[in-house]
Amino acid sequence: ADYLDNGNNKMAIQQADKLLKKHKDLHCAKVLKAIGLQRTGKQDEAYALAQEVAALEPTDDNSLQALTILYREMHRPELVTKLYEAAVKKVPNSEEYHSHLFMAYARVGEYKKMQQAGMALYKIVPKNPYYFWSVMSLIMQSISAQDENLSKTMFLPLAERMVEKMVKEDKIEAEAEVELYYMILERLEKYKEALDVVRGKLGEKLTSELQSRENKCMAMYKKLRRWPECNALSRRLLLKNSDDWQFYITYFDSVFQLIDEAWTPPPEEEHSLEGEVHYSIEEAVKFIEERITEESKSSRPLRGPYLAKLELIRRLRYRGCNDEYKLGDPEDLMFQYFKKFGDKPCCFTDLKVFVDLLPSNQYTKFIRQLLEVIPLSAAAENEIALPADIKALQQHLCVVQLSRLLGIYHAMDKKQKLTVVRELMLRYRHGLEFGKSCLKTELQFSDYYCLLAVHLLLDLWLEGEETAVWQCLTLLEEGLSHSPSNAQFKLLLIRIYCRLGAFEPVAELYSSLDAKHIQHDTIGYLLTRYAGSLGHYAAASQSCNFALRFFHSNQKDTSEYIIQAYKYGAFEKIPEFIAFRNRLNSSLHFAQVRTERMLLDLLLEANISTSLEESIKSMSLSPEEDDIPWEDLRDNRDLTVLFSWDPKDRDISEEHRKLSLEEETIWLRIRSLTLRLISGLPTLSHTIQPKNSEKTAENGVSSKIDTIRSLLQHLEAAVDSGKKFLEQKIQYPVLGPPPTRMAGFFSNGSCQCQTSLFYLVSDIYELDTNGLEDSAEIQERIGNSLKSLAERLTDLFNKCKGDLIEVRDGSLKTHPNLLENLVFFVETISIALWVSSYCDSVLRPFKSNLQKKKKKKKESSVAMPPVFTHFLDYVGELQTLTSNVIDHIKGLEIILTALKLEELSLKDTLLLQEEKKFTKTVQGKVQSSYHHSVQEIGELLKKRLDTIKKLKI
Amino acid sequence: YCDPVLMLCVFTVMGKAEGSVAREEWHGHVTALSVAPEFRRLGLAAKLMELLEEISEKKGGFFVDLFVRVSNQVAVNMYKQLGYSVYRTVLEYYSASSGEPDEDAYDMRKALSRDTEKKSIIPLPHPVRPEDIE
Repeated sequence: ADYLDNGNNKMAIQQADKLLKKHKDLHCAKVLKAIGLQRTGKQDEAYALAQEVAALEPTDDNSLQALTILYREMHRPELVTKLYEAAVKKVPNSEEYHSHLFMAYARVGEYKKMQQAGMALYKIVPKNPYYFWSVMSLIMQSISAQDENLSKTMFLPLAERMVEKMVKEDKIEAEAEVELYYMILERLEKYKEALDVVRGKLGEKLTSELQSRENKCMAMYKKLRRWPECNALSRRLLLKNSDDWQFYITYFDSVFQLIDEAWTPPPEEEHSLEGEVHYSIEEAVKFIEERITEESKSSRPLRGPYLAKLELIRRLRYRGCNDEYKLGDPEDLMFQYFKKFGDKPCCFTDLKVFVDLLPSNQYTKFIRQLLEVIPLSAAAENEIALPADIKALQQHLCVVQLSRLLGIYHAMDKKQKLTVVRELMLRYRHGLEFGKSCLKTELQFSDYYCLLAVHLLLDLWLEGEETAVWQCLTLLEEGLSHSPSNAQFKLLLIRIYCRLGAFEPVAELYSSLDAKHIQHDTIGYLLTRYAGSLGHYAAASQSCNFALRFFHSNQKDTSEYIIQAYKYGAFEKIPEFIAFRNRLNSSLHFAQVRTERMLLDLLLEANISTSLEESIKSMSLSPEEDDIPWEDLRDNRDLTVLFSWDPKDRDISEEHRKLSLEEETIWLRIRSLTLRLISGLPTLSHTIQPKNSEKTAENGVSSKIDTIRSLLQHLEAAVDSGKKFLEQKIQYPVLGPPPTRMAGFFSNGSCQCQTSLFYLVSDIYELDTNGLEDSAEIQERIGNSLKSLAERLTDLFNKCKGDLIEVRDGSLKTHPNLLENLVFFVETISIALWVSSYCDSVLRPFKSNLQKKKKKKKESSVAMPPVFTHFLDYVGELQTLTSNVIDHIKGLEIILTALKLEELSLKDTLLLQEEKKFTKTVQGKVQSSYHHSVQEIGELLKKRLDTIKKLKI
Repeated sequence: YCDPVLMLCVFTVMGKAEGSVAREEWHGHVTALSVAPEFRRLGLAAKLMELLEEISEKKGGFFVDLFVRVSNQVAVNMYKQLGYSVYRTVLEYYSASSGEPDEDAYDMRKALSRDTEKKSIIPLPHPVRPEDIE
């Protein structure tokens, strides 16, 4: 076993063999050997050996544990359940084996069996946790039940009765048991009963979370719409802590509910279960004002009361009240707030929520007012006044952020914007003074200045100012050099480099973000959208792998979390873990990387290193199978991961999210159908026996072509919906969701080529089943398709022509769309070649038959059917075209190598000397990345060219 | 807005159930504490620590402990201000990324009211190895 632990699997196998020679039936040694075999890749042998032991139904600890490990490594957790089922049958009183059995069921989600196993355990050893394991398993059955009625009328009531029994017998011991009781009642919508439990004696056990009882009561009051209690409880909690925002919200909600219901307190009774109730605006105003007065006595300034006042104003305005209640002018209140909290980094986000209360004609005045109270001093008269300490810097930064939010910068002309950029950069560099002692892991105080300057430059770039994008990159690289842990710098660099078509620097930036766990799902799209589409195939594979590894391990990890939750009685977490797993399984990104990864593997390998058929087999792909949960796709992307200070109308909206999801889904559909169509190609060849069409129908080949034809129809439909979508000409905000590749796919003609190719497959199949006789019409159709395909592919190539980097009047312009088109070309030509091999496999037997005939008849007059010439011409054209593209790529490489950017004199006089240095660096990165792209694309294309040579029938 | 604060607390038991309370090792443990940059300088970390201590008191713990990078002076100072002291140094507790050496951790503790004589926080004279803790 030591050998196994050290990873020396071969030795482990040898040792086990030695032992087995002495003791022929030593189960444990056999299993250890099986583990060794499994780990050295001999899965089948391992499995056979394991089953040999398992068949004997072992009951010794060592064998059982070793088999458990083995099955887990084999990803066959269901076999563990069989193992312990047998073990408990033989040793029916073993607490240990029963509990292993329970956990084994938990791993595979066998809730009903868990329920039984839990009870069986409780009968052997009457410990509370076992009983409640069983109860929890009932809840799990109710959650997983398709039939909601069944869950409400059977599983949950049963669970409730089980707990009630324990309550009656006064056997409730742990907090977890009360939590579970609450959970059952809540799910049964017995809110009143749940409230009684929480408020009663059992509720005293709820101590692990702070205010657990209060929070649960509040939740129930809300469900029961008991506004007096909601109000009284939130009021009481606010008296205790006037900085807890959630209770202000409940307080306001309930006050206005009570007003609308014209509620009055019951005469001569307590207002409510929770004490005094506020049910008028006057009381609410007074209450908030009192909180502010109290705050002034507190040792630490609290934001809650002040923000609550603004919130109250907002709600009153919404109800049509103006200033009848003398709460004050929001502009002035916000000004006061700024004076008090302006030096805190959160001041901006706090005020952001309330800028709607300002009239737009007051924006400039408001900003000026704020600026006036910041202690800034200028060294000389015409110089910019700068902050003398971090607090002043924070205040100023807050004003700059607010200025952007209020659209003040957006309204400026180009010259003014550039002046602001200069000023912000000066402030940025000055602010670095304050952060000299910061560690590498800390952010610089003035980082946001730099980021805001870049946002202004981005605006200019989008308005058509070509050079601004280089300045963006320049300033960001400068910022990152001073603040190497700033994720915002990295994220924005990633977005901009990608937009310029330069993926090479992105891989490193992304890896320095150190994305972990769920982030592979939420921000992974930043990588996977661009890597492959820019021809960085190796990086694309890698990025897909990061994501896939996470998604696959999630499956296993979740089972472990669930098991831990049972062990520690954290029952309320179990449905959360399950919901989390489901959410990840239906992730849009997961489906995308799954699909793209397979397309990429085919692109890089099929018919190059292995045959298309083998590749598809190894991926267990089949055209009939669709594993994407279309109806439940969840968009887990974090689309606001990049900071934005834009006004609402320019910022990313709910509408953008919806549209982006729609676009991604259509594109995924197209990609997934393409993949399935490709996977159908090998199913058509080989088994075909044209003269025995009935038999082939039995074999299922004709149903294969039906599948393909139906997929093709679906593809057409998806393409149509894609075109309709694009007609809307949606422009996402520049920092919002990146558009898919769909627009390029349509406009460069790849789409048409690829669909025609699949139609060609259908025609060839028809020729195949029909035979050569009386096939003039089909042959002509095929001939025409081939001819037009050759033309279309040439057109596609034309869309790839041109220089990637253009130097004009001392400034640099990039054409990343040419790269994307090239990548589409390679993909399309690859599909063309796979389809050609199918054609080849159909035509070749025809040809050899004809040649045999020819020999027999010894005549030279047996004419070659036109389809052969058409096909040969077509293959010839593919070959020439591919060679031309390879030459074109070589040309691009030469130009890119020859382009000496460092000698380029940049006309932009705005750049400082030091900035120019950074600019050269970023331009060099883009250049090098393009070089990398064309190299990878070129190499792949050369391999594809070699495969064409095999197609000469 | 996203959740401004992220804190993961795990209440751990050292030793098995039979001996833990007797050996006065039942305690609260801070697994991780972080505050998003925008919400710093508001005293949130102190507030969060206070809450954890409150729960640990309720659960009858003897002390609260945490591990922190020796180099993370900002954090070490903050914990000191909150009444924590270095109980021991754990050598090479944090494995570093490629190239750099592993980093030591301070195991910092604060006694709770149940530990009346503050026995749990008497500093150990020698540093320990990670495999020797737990």
